[in-house]
Amino acid sequence: MTSFPTRILGDLAVPLAGLILLALYPSQQAFLAQIAITAILVLSLDLVVGFAGLATLGHAAMFGAGAYAAGLYALHVWSEPLTGLIAGALAGAVVAGATALMLMRAHGLTFLMMTVAISQVLYEIVSKARDVTGGDDGLFGFTMQPVLGVWEFDFFGKLAFWYSLAVLWIVFVLLRRLMVTPFGQTVRAIRDDAGRVGSLGGRVYRHRVVVYTLSGGIAGLAGALSAQTVQVVGLSSLSVTYSAEILVMLVLGGTGRLWGALVGTLVFTVIHHYAASIDPVRWMLFIGLILVVIVLFLPGGLTRGIALIHAWLTGRRAP
Amino acid sequence: MSFGTVLRAGAVALAMTAPAMAETVKVGVIGPFSGPFSGSFGEPFRQGVETYVAMNGQPADGIEVEFIWRDLQKPDPGQARALAQELVAKDGVQYLAGFVFTPNAIAAAGISQQAKIPTVIFNASASAVVSQSEYYVRTSNTLAQVSVPTAQDALDKGYKTVVTAVSDYAPGVDAETNFAKAFTEGGGEVLESIRMPLSTTDFGPYLQSIQLKKPDALFVFLPYGPPTYSFVNAYRDNGLDKAGIAFVGTSETQEVDLQSLGDAALGLETGYFYSAAHESPENDAFKAKLKELYPNAEPNPATVAAFDGTHALYEMIRATGGKTDPDAAIAAIKGKSWESPRGPITIDADTRDIVQNVYIRKVEKDADGRLVNREYKTYEAQPDFGAQK
Repeated sequence: MTSFPTRILGDLAVPLAGLILLALYPSQQAFLAQIAITAILVLSLDLVVGFAGLATLGHAAMFGAGAYAAGLYALHVWSEPLTGLIAGALAGAVVAGATALMLMRAHGLTFLMMTVAISQVLYEIVSKARDVTGGDDGLFGFTMQPVLGVWEFDFFGKLAFWYSLAVLWIVFVLLRRLMVTPFGQTVRAIRDDAGRVGSLGGRVYRHRVVVYTLSGGIAGLAGALSAQTVQVVGLSSLSVTYSAEILVMLVLGGTGRLWGALVGTLVFTVIHHYAASIDPVRWMLFIGLILVVIVLFLPGGLTRGIALIHAWLTGRRAP
Repeated sequence: MSFGTVLRAGAVALAMTAPAMAETVKVGVIGPFSGPFSGSFGEPFRQGVETYVAMNGQPADGIEVEFIWRDLQKPDPGQARALAQELVAKDGVQYLAGFVFTPNAIAAAGISQQAKIPTVIFNASASAVVSQSEYYVRTSNTLAQVSVPTAQDALDKGYKTVVTAVSDYAPGVDAETNFAKAFTEGGGEVLESIRMPLSTTDFGPYLQSIQLKKPDALFVFLPYGPPTYSFVNAYRDNGLDKAGIAFVGTSETQEVDLQSLGDAALGLETGYFYSAAHESPENDAFKAKLKELYPNAEPNPATVAAFDGTHALYEMIRATGGKTDPDAAIAAIKGKSWESPRGPITIDADTRDIVQNVYIRKVEKDADGRLVNREYKTYEAQPDFGAQK
């Protein structure tokens, strides 16, 4: 258990990091908003992969569901952003909840394959339903009302940035609280030894369904944010490739730690961004090399590296 | 010396050197420069732009154009918007260009509209794209623009019945809808419309079922590259050509794929906007320069779209003297006509979309034994039929 001031400091880290990034990249706020939104999605993935110990390649299904739900909601129901976020989160949670009932009966590779299959099915449905979703052309044509009736969406992405950062902050603070509750502890215990938790009377299946649904809701929330700030939803938001990309970010940062999700997203997107602007033709090679190096020398991800350095400095054993 | 004096001295020095320096106009080009689409779009874009610059130099004395290339591998609207925003806000580009995929072009439209950035679309071919921003101009084509005259030609050839077989994605569906509409309105009959999944590699079953229907012709739309190769081979292997079912296509025999198609492509007839075999001094000059700069490059429709797009950028830069004046720039390009390597083209004064000839071509061998799209019939000044609803 961390001490009270440390915990408060941890809570303030997200807005602080946001301000530092804003100072570093004052004219790239759309890019920063993208980082914040991706960070929310990677946090939600960490719940499933890191905390519940379930490797998935279908997490984009919930992100895309949230994005399409928020887009359709803005187009046909009401273009108010905050209720749009709720619509997106609900869509993500419904997709996750419904599929979790089936998914959580599978394990290991079967589970992984089923997550891929489910996201493929959803991708095909959205791709076929051209009249509703726009198919490959994407869903567009909606505009958003000002947030809380005050702040307008601007093309520089100023509002998009603050709005996404605020949501990221709330999600991060709540997840930190959640992970130390009995529920959070049980989820982690199930990851470490599901058989034992079961024999002690813990409800393994139910906990997994709940955490997967919650994670889906957060992924849907990220999708909704993306839909509202970009104002176009593309099929790629549902793709398995995207699921794999966010998994790479999480592994890069370190699974099973909320910090890992944030650090991984930030480092991956910033490197990606620099590499792609320096050499738009060969940058992928560079990203690949960095990943290989990290996996070889820091198997626990970047946050594990930070923890090791911290332990070495303070002379304590690494956690 | 106080800090203020230094600043003032600096300002004076800057003011003195300014007239001597060329005015730099920055253009941000967004396209797939890496990844699976770089061969069919990213590289041709770059080759088209650089060929134009090599042939024409700078737009005017004292104006220098700088192209900033940004990689966007796949349809990803969020990334497209972030790149466009960054190019405008951080790099200070006056113009944007490129865009292969429709969702990306639509995502950047908000930036173009609100920041008033004239943007030349090099590819994205859904009808809706150009209307998304008042500062959008297109130098490629729309699916309706090429499929309607192709349907017209099929009717002129006396085909009464067709089966359409398209890849199941937005461009394929666009092509199918527009072809079928024009063909039935002209008195023809569409026996069946088949949509094949994008990942299809074995087209045999589709072609066998088409053969049983015995249509006069088969209208096809496929994405670039391998699917086209296997489709054309399957068309020959299953004997549809011998059964008298004519092949009607659009971009299937485009230059980047043509030599790989091999002899199976001989005799295929398509309707499209550019053939490397187009006979004009403009096309010869373009091909010669391209060959000089990139000995291995094929003159491809995407190359010409970027080449003409650069012409459009130059027109706008000249009209505004390199200064930032988006409204004057866009007014200058509206209604402009010029002779492109593909033939005469015009930017429509109202829609800002391209008006161009669509040529009916037949694959033949030239004197050197290379395959070419020989143009033999022209539908002049075709607009985007998709927008005229």
